[in-house]
Amino acid sequence: MFLQTQGITKEFGKLRAVNNVTLEIKKGDIHAIIGPNGAGKSTYFNLVTGYHRATSGKVLFRDKEITNLPAYSRCNLGITRSFQITSIYPKLTVYESVLMGLLSHRKVTLNFFSSAKKFFKEEVWRTLEDVGLADQANTLGDSISHGDKKRLELAITLGTEPELLCLDEPTCGMSPEETDIAMSLIKKFSEERGLTILFTEHDMSVVFGIAKRISVLHQGTLIADGTPQEVRASEEVQKVYLGGSA
Amino acid sequence: MLQNQIKEEKSLLQRGWWLALLILLSLIAPFVISEFYLTILCEALVMSLLALSFNLLFGYMGQLSFGQAAFYGLGGYAVAMLMTKAQFNFWLSLIAGPVLAAIIGLIVGYFCVRLRGIYFAILTLAFGELIFFIVFKWHNFTGGDDGIQGVFPPEFLKSLISYYYFILIVFLLSAFILWKIIHSPFGQTIISMRENSERTEFLGINIARYQLIAFVIAAAFAGLAGAIWVPFYRSVAPSYLTWIKSGEPVMAAILGGPSLFFGPILGMFIMTFFHAWVLGFTVYWPVVMGALILVVIFFLPGGILGFIQEKVHQRRERLNQLMEK
Repeated sequence: MFLQTQGITKEFGKLRAVNNVTLEIKKGDIHAIIGPNGAGKSTYFNLVTGYHRATSGKVLFRDKEITNLPAYSRCNLGITRSFQITSIYPKLTVYESVLMGLLSHRKVTLNFFSSAKKFFKEEVWRTLEDVGLADQANTLGDSISHGDKKRLELAITLGTEPELLCLDEPTCGMSPEETDIAMSLIKKFSEERGLTILFTEHDMSVVFGIAKRISVLHQGTLIADGTPQEVRASEEVQKVYLGGSA
Repeated sequence: MLQNQIKEEKSLLQRGWWLALLILLSLIAPFVISEFYLTILCEALVMSLLALSFNLLFGYMGQLSFGQAAFYGLGGYAVAMLMTKAQFNFWLSLIAGPVLAAIIGLIVGYFCVRLRGIYFAILTLAFGELIFFIVFKWHNFTGGDDGIQGVFPPEFLKSLISYYYFILIVFLLSAFILWKIIHSPFGQTIISMRENSERTEFLGINIARYQLIAFVIAAAFAGLAGAIWVPFYRSVAPSYLTWIKSGEPVMAAILGGPSLFFGPILGMFIMTFFHAWVLGFTVYWPVVMGALILVVIFFLPGGILGFIQEKVHQRRERLNQLMEK
Protein backbone atom coordinates (compact mmCIF):
# COMPACT_ATOMS: atom_id res chain seq x y z
CA MET A 1 0.00 0.00 0.00
CA PHE A 2 1.49 3.29 -1.11
CA LEU A 3 -0.78 6.07 0.16
CA GLN A 4 -4.09 5.56 1.84
CA THR A 5 -6.51 7.76 3.69
CA GLN A 6 -8.86 5.96 6.05
CA GLY A 7 -12.09 7.75 6.93
CA ILE A 8 -10.35 11.07 6.91
CA THR A 9 -12.39 14.07 8.00
CA LYS A 10 -11.60 17.74 8.35
CA GLU A 11 -13.88 20.20 10.05
CA PHE A 12 -13.48 23.97 10.12
CA GLY A 13 -15.83 24.98 12.90
CA LYS A 14 -19.22 23.67 11.81
CA LEU A 15 -18.14 23.17 8.22
CA ARG A 16 -17.11 19.63 7.34
CA ALA A 17 -14.81 20.25 4.37
CA VAL A 18 -13.73 16.63 3.95
CA ASN A 19 -16.08 13.93 5.14
CA ASN A 20 -14.91 10.42 5.93
CA VAL A 21 -12.86 9.89 2.76
CA THR A 22 -11.25 6.49 2.35
CA LEU A 23 -9.06 6.35 -0.71
CA GLU A 24 -5.96 4.59 -1.94
CA ILE A 25 -3.36 6.02 -4.30
CA LYS A 26 -1.31 3.35 -6.02
CA LYS A 27 2.39 3.63 -6.69
CA GLY A 28 3.19 4.94 -10.16
CA ASP A 29 -0.33 6.24 -10.80
CA ILE A 30 -1.27 9.66 -12.03
CA HIS A 31 -4.25 10.20 -9.79
CA ALA A 32 -6.57 13.17 -10.13
CA ILE A 33 -8.88 14.53 -7.45
CA ILE A 34 -11.71 16.46 -9.02
CA GLY A 35 -14.90 18.08 -7.89
CA PRO A 36 -16.83 21.33 -8.14
CA ASN A 37 -15.70 24.43 -6.28
CA GLY A 38 -15.88 23.84 -2.55
CA ALA A 39 -15.88 20.06 -2.98
CA GLY A 40 -12.94 19.68 -0.59
CA LYS A 41 -10.22 18.88 -3.15
CA SER A 42 -7.66 21.30 -1.79
CA THR A 43 -8.50 20.42 1.82
CA TYR A 44 -8.06 16.72 1.06
CA PHE A 45 -4.80 17.59 -0.61
CA ASN A 46 -3.73 19.59 2.44
CA LEU A 47 -4.51 16.66 4.72
CA VAL A 48 -2.28 14.37 2.68
CA THR A 49 0.63 16.83 2.55
CA GLY A 50 0.45 18.00 6.16
CA TYR A 51 -0.76 21.52 5.57
CA HIS A 52 -3.81 20.70 7.70
CA ARG A 53 -4.25 18.15 10.47
CA ALA A 54 -7.22 15.82 10.18
CA THR A 55 -10.08 16.12 12.66
CA SER A 56 -10.42 12.34 12.51
CA GLY A 57 -9.28 9.44 10.34
CA LYS A 58 -5.85 8.35 9.28
CA VAL A 59 -3.30 9.01 6.55
CA LEU A 60 -0.96 6.10 5.81
CA PHE A 61 2.12 6.27 3.61
CA ARG A 62 3.93 3.03 2.89
CA ASP A 63 1.95 1.45 5.73
CA LYS A 64 3.19 4.02 8.20
CA GLU A 65 0.73 6.37 9.84
CA ILE A 66 1.60 9.98 9.05
CA THR A 67 -1.66 11.61 10.17
CA ASN A 68 -0.02 13.83 12.74
CA LEU A 69 3.38 14.31 11.14
CA PRO A 70 4.31 17.90 10.26
CA ALA A 71 4.73 18.85 6.62
CA TYR A 72 8.53 18.77 6.66
CA SER A 73 8.57 15.22 8.03
CA ARG A 74 6.18 14.05 5.32
CA CYS A 75 8.43 15.68 2.76
CA ASN A 76 11.40 13.82 4.19
CA LEU A 77 9.44 10.58 3.74
CA GLY A 78 8.98 11.39 0.04
CA ILE A 79 5.80 13.48 -0.21
CA THR A 80 6.27 16.88 -1.86
CA ARG A 81 3.73 19.34 -3.11
CA SER A 82 3.14 22.37 -5.27
CA PHE A 83 0.61 25.06 -4.43
CA GLN A 84 -2.41 26.41 -6.30
CA ILE A 85 -0.94 29.91 -6.03
CA THR A 86 2.59 29.31 -7.25
CA SER A 87 4.98 29.15 -4.35
CA ILE A 88 8.54 29.96 -5.39
CA TYR A 89 11.41 32.10 -4.11
CA PRO A 90 10.91 35.56 -5.65
CA LYS A 91 14.35 36.94 -4.81
CA LEU A 92 16.40 33.81 -5.40
CA THR A 93 17.63 32.94 -8.86
CA VAL A 94 16.07 30.02 -10.67
CA TYR A 95 19.31 28.09 -10.08
CA GLU A 96 19.40 28.80 -6.33
CA SER A 97 15.74 27.86 -6.00
CA VAL A 98 16.24 24.43 -7.55
CA LEU A 99 19.42 23.95 -5.52
CA MET A 100 17.45 24.48 -2.30
CA GLY A 101 15.33 21.38 -2.87
CA LEU A 102 18.45 19.30 -3.41
CA LEU A 103 20.28 20.72 -0.39
CA SER A 104 17.32 19.79 1.77
CA HIS A 105 16.75 16.35 0.34
CA ARG A 106 20.42 15.35 0.40
CA LYS A 107 20.68 16.45 4.05
CA VAL A 108 23.47 18.98 3.71
CA THR A 109 21.60 21.97 5.13
CA LEU A 110 23.52 21.68 8.39
CA ASN A 111 26.80 22.24 6.60
CA PHE A 112 28.02 25.62 7.85
CA PHE A 113 31.29 26.19 6.07
CA SER A 114 31.23 24.93 2.47
CA SER A 115 29.95 27.14 -0.31
CA ALA A 116 26.36 26.16 -1.14
CA LYS A 117 26.97 26.75 -4.85
CA LYS A 118 29.56 23.96 -4.97
CA PHE A 119 26.88 21.36 -4.28
CA PHE A 120 24.94 19.32 -6.83
CA LYS A 121 25.79 21.43 -9.87
CA GLU A 122 25.15 18.57 -12.27
CA GLU A 123 21.81 17.67 -10.71
CA VAL A 124 20.59 21.27 -10.72
CA TRP A 125 21.49 21.77 -14.37
CA ARG A 126 19.91 18.46 -15.34
CA THR A 127 16.66 19.41 -13.59
CA LEU A 128 16.72 22.87 -15.17
CA GLU A 129 17.21 21.32 -18.59
CA ASP A 130 14.45 18.80 -17.94
CA VAL A 131 11.93 21.55 -17.23
CA GLY A 132 13.33 23.89 -19.88
CA LEU A 133 14.57 26.63 -17.58
CA ALA A 134 18.34 26.29 -18.04
CA ASP A 135 18.58 29.50 -20.07
CA GLN A 136 16.95 31.41 -17.19
CA ALA A 137 19.16 29.99 -14.45
CA ASN A 138 20.44 33.42 -13.41
CA THR A 139 17.05 35.13 -13.51
CA LEU A 140 15.26 35.95 -10.28
CA GLY A 141 12.16 33.90 -9.52
CA ASP A 142 9.80 36.87 -9.71
CA SER A 143 11.14 37.98 -13.10
CA ILE A 144 10.01 34.95 -15.10
CA SER A 145 6.61 34.38 -16.74
CA HIS A 146 3.70 32.76 -14.92
CA GLY A 147 4.04 29.51 -16.82
CA ASP A 148 7.75 29.43 -16.10
CA LYS A 149 7.05 30.02 -12.41
CA LYS A 150 4.84 26.93 -12.40
CA ARG A 151 7.65 24.99 -14.06
CA LEU A 152 10.12 26.39 -11.58
CA GLU A 153 7.98 25.22 -8.70
CA LEU A 154 7.87 21.80 -10.30
CA ALA A 155 11.67 21.86 -10.64
CA ILE A 156 12.08 22.89 -6.98
CA THR A 157 9.88 20.02 -5.82
CA LEU A 158 11.72 17.57 -8.09
CA GLY A 159 14.91 18.51 -6.25
CA THR A 160 13.57 16.66 -3.22
CA GLU A 161 13.39 13.51 -5.38
CA PRO A 162 9.87 12.72 -4.16
CA GLU A 163 8.05 9.44 -4.44
CA LEU A 164 4.67 11.12 -4.28
CA LEU A 165 4.35 14.49 -5.95
CA CYS A 166 1.16 16.36 -5.08
CA LEU A 167 0.24 19.12 -7.52
CA ASP A 168 -2.53 21.51 -6.58
CA GLU A 169 -4.02 22.88 -9.79
CA PRO A 170 -0.77 22.55 -11.76
CA THR A 171 -2.11 24.39 -14.81
CA CYS A 172 -3.97 27.13 -12.95
CA GLY A 173 -3.65 30.44 -14.84
CA MET A 174 -1.72 28.89 -17.74
CA SER A 175 -2.34 29.49 -21.42
CA PRO A 176 -3.37 26.41 -23.47
CA GLU A 177 0.19 26.13 -24.83
CA GLU A 178 1.69 26.36 -21.35
CA THR A 179 -0.83 23.80 -20.12
CA ASP A 180 0.22 21.34 -22.81
CA ILE A 181 3.89 21.79 -21.94
CA ALA A 182 3.25 21.41 -18.22
CA MET A 183 1.15 18.29 -18.58
CA SER A 184 3.60 16.59 -20.92
CA LEU A 185 6.34 17.38 -18.40
CA ILE A 186 4.33 15.83 -15.58
CA LYS A 187 3.68 12.75 -17.68
CA LYS A 188 7.33 12.53 -18.60
CA PHE A 189 8.47 12.73 -14.97
CA SER A 190 5.94 10.14 -13.93
CA GLU A 191 7.26 7.73 -16.54
CA GLU A 192 10.97 8.48 -16.33
CA ARG A 193 11.36 8.90 -12.60
CA GLY A 194 8.65 6.47 -11.52
CA LEU A 195 6.87 9.29 -9.70
CA THR A 196 3.41 8.84 -8.30
CA ILE A 197 1.39 11.97 -8.97
CA LEU A 198 -1.66 13.13 -7.08
CA PHE A 199 -3.20 16.27 -8.51
CA THR A 200 -6.27 18.44 -8.33
CA GLU A 201 -7.42 20.15 -11.49
CA HIS A 202 -10.44 22.02 -12.75
CA ASP A 203 -9.69 21.59 -16.46
CA MET A 204 -11.46 18.38 -17.46
CA SER A 205 -9.54 17.99 -20.72
CA VAL A 206 -6.33 17.94 -18.69
CA VAL A 207 -7.74 15.47 -16.18
CA PHE A 208 -9.10 13.01 -18.70
CA GLY A 209 -6.04 13.42 -20.89
CA ILE A 210 -3.47 12.40 -18.31
CA ALA A 211 -5.01 10.74 -15.24
CA LYS A 212 -4.92 6.97 -14.90
CA ARG A 213 -7.30 7.15 -11.99
CA ILE A 214 -9.79 9.79 -10.91
CA SER A 215 -11.53 10.39 -7.59
CA VAL A 216 -14.47 12.72 -7.41
CA LEU A 217 -15.36 14.69 -4.31
CA HIS A 218 -18.66 16.41 -3.76
CA GLN A 219 -19.36 18.46 -0.64
CA GLY A 220 -16.43 16.79 1.04
CA THR A 221 -17.59 13.25 0.32
CA LEU A 222 -16.02 10.80 -2.12
CA ILE A 223 -18.69 9.95 -4.68
CA ALA A 224 -16.63 8.11 -7.30
CA ASP A 225 -13.22 6.55 -7.70
CA GLY A 226 -12.01 4.67 -10.71
CA THR A 227 -10.51 4.83 -14.18
CA PRO A 228 -11.41 7.83 -16.37
CA GLN A 229 -13.90 5.64 -18.26
CA GLU A 230 -15.58 4.48 -15.06
CA VAL A 231 -15.82 8.00 -13.70
CA ARG A 232 -17.12 9.33 -16.99
CA ALA A 233 -19.82 6.66 -16.95
CA SER A 234 -20.88 7.33 -13.37
CA GLU A 235 -24.37 8.79 -13.25
CA GLU A 236 -23.80 10.44 -9.92
CA VAL A 237 -20.68 12.19 -11.20
CA GLN A 238 -22.53 13.39 -14.29
CA LYS A 239 -25.34 14.67 -12.13
CA VAL A 240 -23.33 16.61 -9.56
CA TYR A 241 -20.28 17.61 -11.46
CA LEU A 242 -20.23 17.10 -15.21
CA GLY A 243 -23.75 18.34 -15.73
CA GLY A 244 -24.59 15.24 -17.70
CA SER A 245 -22.49 16.32 -20.66
CA ALA A 246 -19.42 14.12 -20.19
CA MET B 1 23.47 23.62 -21.41
CA LEU B 2 26.15 22.88 -18.84
CA GLN B 3 28.36 25.64 -20.15
CA ASN B 4 25.68 28.06 -19.10
CA GLN B 5 26.98 27.94 -15.54
CA ILE B 6 25.93 30.67 -13.17
CA LYS B 7 28.01 33.71 -13.83
CA GLU B 8 29.15 34.52 -10.38
CA GLU B 9 28.62 38.16 -10.77
CA LYS B 10 31.24 39.77 -8.66
CA SER B 11 29.89 42.99 -7.39
CA LEU B 12 32.22 45.82 -6.63
CA LEU B 13 31.96 44.96 -2.97
CA GLN B 14 32.85 41.33 -3.40
CA ARG B 15 36.08 42.05 -5.21
CA GLY B 16 39.10 41.19 -3.18
CA TRP B 17 40.98 44.45 -3.65
CA TRP B 18 38.39 46.39 -1.69
CA LEU B 19 38.71 44.08 1.22
CA ALA B 20 42.50 44.00 1.05
CA LEU B 21 42.58 47.80 1.05
CA LEU B 22 40.25 48.01 4.05
CA ILE B 23 42.27 45.46 6.00
CA LEU B 24 45.49 47.29 5.12
CA LEU B 25 43.97 50.58 6.27
CA SER B 26 42.84 49.03 9.54
CA LEU B 27 46.33 47.60 10.08
CA ILE B 28 48.00 51.00 9.72
CA ALA B 29 45.21 52.95 11.46
CA PRO B 30 46.92 53.12 14.90
CA PHE B 31 49.82 54.97 13.28
CA VAL B 32 47.80 57.54 11.38
CA ILE B 33 44.81 58.42 13.55
CA SER B 34 44.62 59.95 17.01
CA GLU B 35 44.03 57.92 20.17
CA PHE B 36 40.54 59.34 20.37
CA TYR B 37 39.61 58.08 16.93
CA LEU B 38 41.38 54.77 17.54
CA THR B 39 39.10 54.29 20.54
CA ILE B 40 36.13 55.08 18.34
CA LEU B 41 37.43 52.61 15.77
CA CYS B 42 37.58 49.91 18.47
CA GLU B 43 33.99 50.65 19.38
CA ALA B 44 32.94 50.63 15.72
CA LEU B 45 34.52 47.19 15.20
CA VAL B 46 32.93 45.68 18.30
CA MET B 47 29.53 47.16 17.49
CA SER B 48 29.90 46.00 13.89
CA LEU B 49 30.30 42.46 15.17
CA LEU B 50 27.07 42.94 17.13
CA ALA B 51 25.43 44.31 13.97
CA LEU B 52 26.65 41.33 11.91
CA SER B 53 25.23 38.92 14.47
CA PHE B 54 21.92 40.80 14.39
CA ASN B 55 21.87 40.81 10.60
CA LEU B 56 22.18 37.04 10.41
CA LEU B 57 18.64 37.06 11.80
CA PHE B 58 17.33 40.24 10.18
CA GLY B 59 18.96 40.49 6.78
CA TYR B 60 19.34 36.80 6.04
CA MET B 61 16.63 35.01 8.00
CA GLY B 62 14.10 37.83 7.77
CA GLN B 63 13.33 38.06 11.50
CA LEU B 64 13.75 41.29 13.42
CA SER B 65 15.36 40.67 16.80
CA PHE B 66 14.92 43.55 19.17
CA GLY B 67 16.80 41.94 22.01
CA GLN B 68 20.25 41.37 20.57
CA ALA B 69 21.90 43.66 23.14
CA ALA B 70 20.84 41.27 25.91
CA PHE B 71 23.30 38.70 24.52
CA TYR B 72 25.93 41.37 24.01
CA GLY B 73 25.50 42.41 27.65
CA LEU B 74 25.49 38.82 28.90
CA GLY B 75 28.79 38.20 27.11
CA GLY B 76 30.19 41.29 28.79
CA TYR B 77 28.87 40.34 32.23
CA ALA B 78 30.21 36.79 31.91
CA VAL B 79 33.73 38.15 31.35
CA ALA B 80 33.43 40.82 34.05
CA MET B 81 32.03 38.51 36.71
CA LEU B 82 34.34 35.60 36.02
CA MET B 83 37.41 37.82 36.00
CA THR B 84 36.59 39.98 39.00
CA LYS B 85 34.59 37.63 41.22
CA ALA B 86 35.89 34.17 40.32
CA GLN B 87 39.41 35.28 39.36
CA PHE B 88 39.13 33.39 36.09
CA ASN B 89 41.81 33.66 33.48
CA PHE B 90 41.12 36.30 30.76
CA TRP B 91 40.97 33.80 27.92
CA LEU B 92 38.66 31.39 29.70
CA SER B 93 36.39 34.29 30.64
CA LEU B 94 36.44 35.44 27.05
CA ILE B 95 35.25 32.04 25.86
CA ALA B 96 32.59 31.96 28.58
CA GLY B 97 31.00 35.14 27.14
CA PRO B 98 29.73 33.68 23.86
CA VAL B 99 29.03 30.34 25.54
CA LEU B 100 26.74 31.93 28.14
CA ALA B 101 25.09 34.06 25.44
CA ALA B 102 24.53 30.94 23.31
CA ILE B 103 23.00 29.01 26.23
CA ILE B 104 20.62 31.85 27.08
CA GLY B 105 20.03 32.29 23.34
CA LEU B 106 18.97 28.65 23.17
CA ILE B 107 16.42 29.15 25.95
CA VAL B 108 15.08 32.48 24.66
CA GLY B 109 15.19 31.29 21.05
CA TYR B 110 13.19 28.16 21.90
CA PHE B 111 10.19 30.38 22.56
CA CYS B 112 10.86 33.12 19.97
CA VAL B 113 11.28 30.90 16.90
CA ARG B 114 7.69 29.75 17.21
CA LEU B 115 6.62 33.23 16.16
CA ARG B 116 7.14 35.28 13.03
CA GLY B 117 7.32 38.94 12.09
CA ILE B 118 6.23 41.53 14.62
CA TYR B 119 5.46 38.88 17.25
CA PHE B 120 9.00 37.55 17.02
CA ALA B 121 10.33 41.11 17.37
CA ILE B 122 8.14 41.85 20.40
CA LEU B 123 9.05 38.60 22.13
CA THR B 124 12.79 39.20 21.63
CA LEU B 125 12.25 42.70 23.01
CA ALA B 126 10.37 41.28 26.01
CA PHE B 127 13.07 38.70 26.75
CA GLY B 128 15.76 41.34 26.30
CA GLU B 129 14.08 43.60 28.83
CA LEU B 130 13.53 40.66 31.18
CA ILE B 131 17.26 39.84 31.13
CA PHE B 132 18.07 43.53 31.58
CA PHE B 133 15.83 43.78 34.66
CA ILE B 134 17.30 40.65 36.21
CA VAL B 135 20.82 42.09 35.79
CA PHE B 136 19.66 45.53 36.95
CA LYS B 137 17.83 44.34 40.06
CA TRP B 138 20.06 41.50 41.21
CA HIS B 139 22.43 43.81 43.00
CA ASN B 140 24.22 41.20 45.12
CA PHE B 141 25.17 39.12 42.14
CA THR B 142 25.59 41.50 39.22
CA GLY B 143 26.28 44.79 40.97
CA GLY B 144 22.92 46.12 39.83
CA ASP B 145 22.99 49.64 38.44
CA ASP B 146 26.61 50.07 39.62
CA GLY B 147 27.75 47.50 37.14
CA ILE B 148 31.18 45.92 37.55
CA GLN B 149 34.43 47.85 37.34
CA GLY B 150 38.07 46.88 37.21
CA VAL B 151 37.95 44.34 34.40
CA PHE B 152 41.49 44.42 33.10
CA PRO B 153 42.92 42.55 30.14
CA PRO B 154 46.28 40.79 30.47
CA GLU B 155 49.37 42.99 30.59
CA PHE B 156 50.29 42.62 26.92
CA LEU B 157 46.80 43.78 25.87
CA LYS B 158 46.62 46.77 28.20
CA SER B 159 47.77 49.36 25.70
CA LEU B 160 45.21 50.86 23.34
CA ILE B 161 47.10 49.75 20.23
CA SER B 162 47.57 46.14 21.31
CA TYR B 163 43.92 45.81 22.34
CA TYR B 164 42.89 47.42 19.06
CA TYR B 165 44.74 44.70 17.15
CA PHE B 166 43.18 42.08 19.37
CA ILE B 167 39.70 43.45 18.59
CA LEU B 168 40.58 43.62 14.89
CA ILE B 169 41.67 39.97 14.81
CA VAL B 170 38.55 38.78 16.66
CA PHE B 171 36.37 40.92 14.37
CA LEU B 172 37.99 39.69 11.14
CA LEU B 173 37.85 36.04 12.23
CA SER B 174 34.22 36.36 13.33
CA ALA B 175 33.22 38.22 10.16
CA PHE B 176 34.93 35.50 8.09
CA ILE B 177 33.07 32.74 9.95
CA LEU B 178 29.74 34.56 9.55
CA TRP B 179 30.48 35.10 5.85
CA LYS B 180 31.13 31.39 5.45
CA ILE B 181 27.93 30.52 7.33
CA ILE B 182 25.84 32.85 5.19
CA HIS B 183 27.19 31.35 1.96
CA SER B 184 26.92 27.76 3.19
CA PRO B 185 23.99 25.39 2.67
CA PHE B 186 22.78 26.44 6.14
CA GLY B 187 22.91 30.09 5.05
CA GLN B 188 21.07 29.24 1.84
CA THR B 189 18.42 27.52 3.95
CA ILE B 190 17.76 30.50 6.23
CA ILE B 191 17.70 32.81 3.20
CA SER B 192 15.12 30.56 1.57
CA MET B 193 13.12 30.68 4.82
CA ARG B 194 13.15 34.46 4.60
CA GLU B 195 12.00 34.33 0.99
CA ASN B 196 9.25 31.75 1.45
CA SER B 197 9.10 29.78 4.67
CA GLU B 198 6.09 27.75 3.55
CA ARG B 199 7.87 26.58 0.41
CA THR B 200 10.96 25.74 2.44
CA GLU B 201 8.99 23.74 4.99
CA PHE B 202 7.46 21.76 2.14
CA LEU B 203 10.97 20.93 0.97
CA GLY B 204 11.56 19.10 4.25
CA ILE B 205 13.01 21.83 6.42
CA ASN B 206 11.98 22.15 10.07
CA ILE B 207 11.70 25.94 10.13
CA ALA B 208 11.73 26.33 13.92
CA ARG B 209 14.86 24.20 14.26
CA TYR B 210 16.83 26.21 11.72
CA GLN B 211 15.63 29.49 13.17
CA LEU B 212 16.77 28.31 16.58
CA ILE B 213 20.22 27.38 15.30
CA ALA B 214 20.58 30.80 13.65
CA PHE B 215 19.33 32.46 16.83
CA VAL B 216 21.95 30.67 18.93
CA ILE B 217 24.75 31.52 16.47
CA ALA B 218 23.67 35.17 16.47
CA ALA B 219 23.52 35.19 20.29
CA ALA B 220 27.01 33.67 20.52
CA PHE B 221 28.56 36.31 18.25
CA ALA B 222 26.72 39.10 20.08
CA GLY B 223 28.08 37.61 23.32
CA LEU B 224 31.58 37.56 21.85
CA ALA B 225 31.26 41.25 20.93
CA GLY B 226 30.29 42.08 24.52
CA ALA B 227 33.05 39.84 25.87
CA ILE B 228 35.82 41.64 23.98
CA TRP B 229 34.41 45.11 24.67
CA VAL B 230 34.23 44.93 28.47
CA PRO B 231 37.98 44.41 29.15
CA PHE B 232 38.65 47.28 26.74
CA TYR B 233 36.28 49.57 28.62
CA ARG B 234 37.39 48.04 31.96
CA SER B 235 33.77 47.88 33.15
CA VAL B 236 30.27 46.70 32.37
CA ALA B 237 26.87 48.22 33.18
CA PRO B 238 23.21 47.19 32.76
CA SER B 239 22.84 49.81 30.03
CA TYR B 240 24.63 47.33 27.73
CA LEU B 241 21.51 45.17 27.75
CA THR B 242 18.81 47.75 27.16
CA TRP B 243 16.43 47.89 24.23
CA ILE B 244 18.07 51.19 23.27
CA LYS B 245 21.32 49.30 22.76
CA SER B 246 19.39 46.64 20.80
CA GLY B 247 18.18 49.41 18.51
CA GLU B 248 21.72 50.27 17.42
CA PRO B 249 22.30 47.19 15.23
CA VAL B 250 18.78 47.62 13.83
CA MET B 251 19.58 51.17 12.75
CA ALA B 252 23.03 50.20 11.49
CA ALA B 253 21.57 47.48 9.27
CA ILE B 254 18.92 49.81 7.86
CA LEU B 255 21.46 52.56 7.34
CA GLY B 256 24.09 50.42 5.61
CA GLY B 257 21.81 47.90 3.89
CA PRO B 258 20.56 44.69 5.50
CA SER B 259 20.68 42.62 2.32
CA LEU B 260 24.45 42.97 1.98
CA PHE B 261 27.03 41.43 4.24
CA PHE B 262 29.00 44.65 4.62
CA GLY B 263 25.88 46.83 4.98
CA PRO B 264 25.56 46.66 8.80
CA ILE B 265 29.33 47.22 9.16
CA LEU B 266 29.17 50.38 7.08
CA GLY B 267 26.05 51.48 8.97
CA MET B 268 27.72 50.93 12.34
CA PHE B 269 30.90 52.73 11.27
CA ILE B 270 28.86 55.72 10.09
CA MET B 271 26.83 55.75 13.30
CA THR B 272 29.80 55.41 15.64
CA PHE B 273 32.04 57.98 13.96
CA PHE B 274 29.17 60.35 13.25
CA HIS B 275 28.12 60.08 16.89
CA ALA B 276 31.64 60.96 18.09
CA TRP B 277 31.81 63.86 15.65
CA VAL B 278 28.33 65.27 16.30
CA LEU B 279 28.80 65.15 20.08
CA GLY B 280 31.61 67.64 19.55
CA PHE B 281 29.11 70.42 18.92
CA THR B 282 25.66 69.27 20.06
CA VAL B 283 24.15 66.93 22.62
CA TYR B 284 21.09 66.40 20.40
CA TRP B 285 22.60 63.34 18.73
CA PRO B 286 19.31 61.41 18.50
CA VAL B 287 17.80 64.23 16.41
CA VAL B 288 20.68 64.08 13.94
CA MET B 289 20.58 60.29 13.83
CA GLY B 290 16.81 60.30 13.39
CA ALA B 291 17.11 62.69 10.43
CA LEU B 292 19.79 60.48 8.87
CA ILE B 293 17.65 57.35 9.21
CA LEU B 294 14.67 59.21 7.71
CA VAL B 295 16.73 60.26 4.69
CA VAL B 296 17.94 56.69 4.16
CA ILE B 297 14.47 55.17 4.51
CA PHE B 298 12.88 57.64 2.09
CA PHE B 299 15.63 58.01 -0.49
CA LEU B 300 17.81 54.90 -0.15
CA PRO B 301 15.43 52.10 0.85
CA GLY B 302 18.10 49.43 0.34
CA GLY B 303 20.52 51.29 2.62
CA ILE B 304 23.62 53.21 1.57
CA LEU B 305 25.51 50.17 0.36
CA GLY B 306 22.41 48.80 -1.34
CA PHE B 307 22.08 52.08 -3.21
CA ILE B 308 25.75 52.04 -4.26
CA GLN B 309 25.50 48.45 -5.43
CA GLU B 310 22.37 49.20 -7.43
CA LYS B 311 24.10 52.11 -9.16
CA VAL B 312 27.16 50.00 -9.94
CA HIS B 313 24.92 47.24 -11.27
CA GLN B 314 23.00 49.68 -13.49
CA ARG B 315 26.25 51.09 -14.83
CA ARG B 316 27.56 47.64 -15.62
CA GLU B 317 24.29 46.75 -17.37
CA ARG B 318 24.59 49.89 -19.51
CA LEU B 319 28.18 49.06 -20.38
CA ASN B 320 27.20 45.51 -21.31
CA GLN B 321 24.42 46.82 -23.55
CA LEU B 322 26.83 49.22 -25.23
CA MET B 323 29.34 46.44 -25.78
CA GLU B 324 26.65 44.20 -27.28
CA LYS B 325 25.76 46.97 -29.76
